[in-house]
Amino acid sequence: MPKTTKQTPLYDWHLSHQAKMENFADYMMPMWYASAKSEHLSVLTGAGLFDTSHMDTLTVRGKHSFDLLQNTFTKDLNHCIGPKLTPLVQGRCAYGAFLDDQGRCIDDAIIFKMGDTDFMVVVNAGMGAVIAKHLEDLNESEHVQIINWSGKLGKVDLQGPFSVPILQEVLNDADRVLNAMPYFSFKGGWPLEPSSATVTLKNGVNIIVSRTGYTGEVGFEIFCPVQDVVSVWEMLLSAGQQYGIAACGLAARDSLRAGAVLPLSHQDIGDWPFIGHPWPFALPFDPRAETFTKSFIGDKALLKARHKMYTYAFTGFDPRKISLAGTRVHDQNKKEIGTVLTCTTDMGIGRHKGTIFSITSPDKPADFKPRGLCCGFLKVSMALSAGEKVSISDQRRAIEVEITTDIRPARTARMPLQKFLNN
Amino acid sequence: MKEIHELNLPENLHYTKDHEWARKQGDLIVVGINDYAQDQLGDIVFVELPEPGEKFSEGDEFGTVESVKAVSELFLPIAGEVADINEDLADTPELVNSNPYDEGWMIKFKPDNPADFDKLLDRDAYLTMLKG
Repeated sequence: MPKTTKQTPLYDWHLSHQAKMENFADYMMPMWYASAKSEHLSVLTGAGLFDTSHMDTLTVRGKHSFDLLQNTFTKDLNHCIGPKLTPLVQGRCAYGAFLDDQGRCIDDAIIFKMGDTDFMVVVNAGMGAVIAKHLEDLNESEHVQIINWSGKLGKVDLQGPFSVPILQEVLNDADRVLNAMPYFSFKGGWPLEPSSATVTLKNGVNIIVSRTGYTGEVGFEIFCPVQDVVSVWEMLLSAGQQYGIAACGLAARDSLRAGAVLPLSHQDIGDWPFIGHPWPFALPFDPRAETFTKSFIGDKALLKARHKMYTYAFTGFDPRKISLAGTRVHDQNKKEIGTVLTCTTDMGIGRHKGTIFSITSPDKPADFKPRGLCCGFLKVSMALSAGEKVSISDQRRAIEVEITTDIRPARTARMPLQKFLNN
Repeated sequence: MKEIHELNLPENLHYTKDHEWARKQGDLIVVGINDYAQDQLGDIVFVELPEPGEKFSEGDEFGTVESVKAVSELFLPIAGEVADINEDLADTPELVNSNPYDEGWMIKFKPDNPADFDKLLDRDAYLTMLKG
């Protein structure tokens, strides 16, 4: 029996806008509309809108909800906000992962603290039921309710510098909502409970809006009841028209997130120990990065697996990439040391006299015109340093790339919202 | 994505099963990828071409065309020797998307046997193959 694919509420919209559709995690999703490259560039310089209703959301509520999450999530929820690592408070969110007892990543997630005993957990497409079961299996308290809202809660992501003035236009009471809204914070009550509404759009839809995303650029994720996704989408596109907003597919999402050094679950992180990767902030390391500040499922296995496998970001020297089937990584002595996890092209960047610039770099050369650079992640059996060159290959060709700690410069995700507001 | 009836497939060109086009120019043959291929691939970000003087047999890979999502091979439809390549594609590979039959041409080659050109598909035969 062929597996039936699922659709988001925007499926018909995508088809009527000539999207190239492909199966992603059992959903038929748009890869791009007219051009993945121009969609990618729109998010860097203007605004882009992504259908992300294929992702799943859980709520974990009740007296012992915090204890369950603290025991199963890699981030220490008592030490995670700001440089002083203060506890997660209402209105803030935290990125981490759920592991099995071997330290392998089941899925990554963002946890939103809605209230003292009320958490929202955003996971990847198709993972709602998996994570709900994982949490149920590990829960020992009667005072925890885990609900998978798959198919009931929808989401669209509005990303890019003009996402801010666009959101200002569609929000009720925009000044209040967008005031004091740092990176990884959110506003709004549970969208499926009208009486808890604190943030609404001008079409009356009750939303949660978070300053998160998956592009490395300033922007928002907007959660709403699934039956309102199409009207929210159309309202944002219409408000964004004067700002040149682009509907964006998963190809641009993939190239933007790779350039922003963000992992794709089940590709860059997955069925192997969740350690030795470019995302140490997702783990509860003590200040000396030797041990953890809390115990959690998978912690012992992680510490044992240290210094065995390493995941690194890389950047190439031109837009050429390799396909992901049968990849190999070779060091300078031509010794095979690993495989490639992600290889894509960030179309907004290029090298000029050895330095990487983005089309948004304030200090870019006057005549700078990016051709794009290959970038992604690779997993190897030996430690490498930033700047080291390795060769990555598929069955067709080998290209030289450089190990790096960062890919696309001049990203806006963490900049103060004030900088982008329309006064 | 374009529907088949929306594709621009000029009558005066020949086509291959690998979605290339070919046209005669004097005793040379000019080759590129057709509207169907550029539409399927999406934005072309890199085109890798051979050096003039290189010789290929029928069906050999002569280069690659790289889109945002994938790398695809380019095949020479008939045996011959590369006479010229489109150097503009190094800096502006997007010409393959915007103008696949003119500014987006890829190579010119001298066929070993000029009569082989007539073995390529005409527009109707290519469309029949595409509709499968």
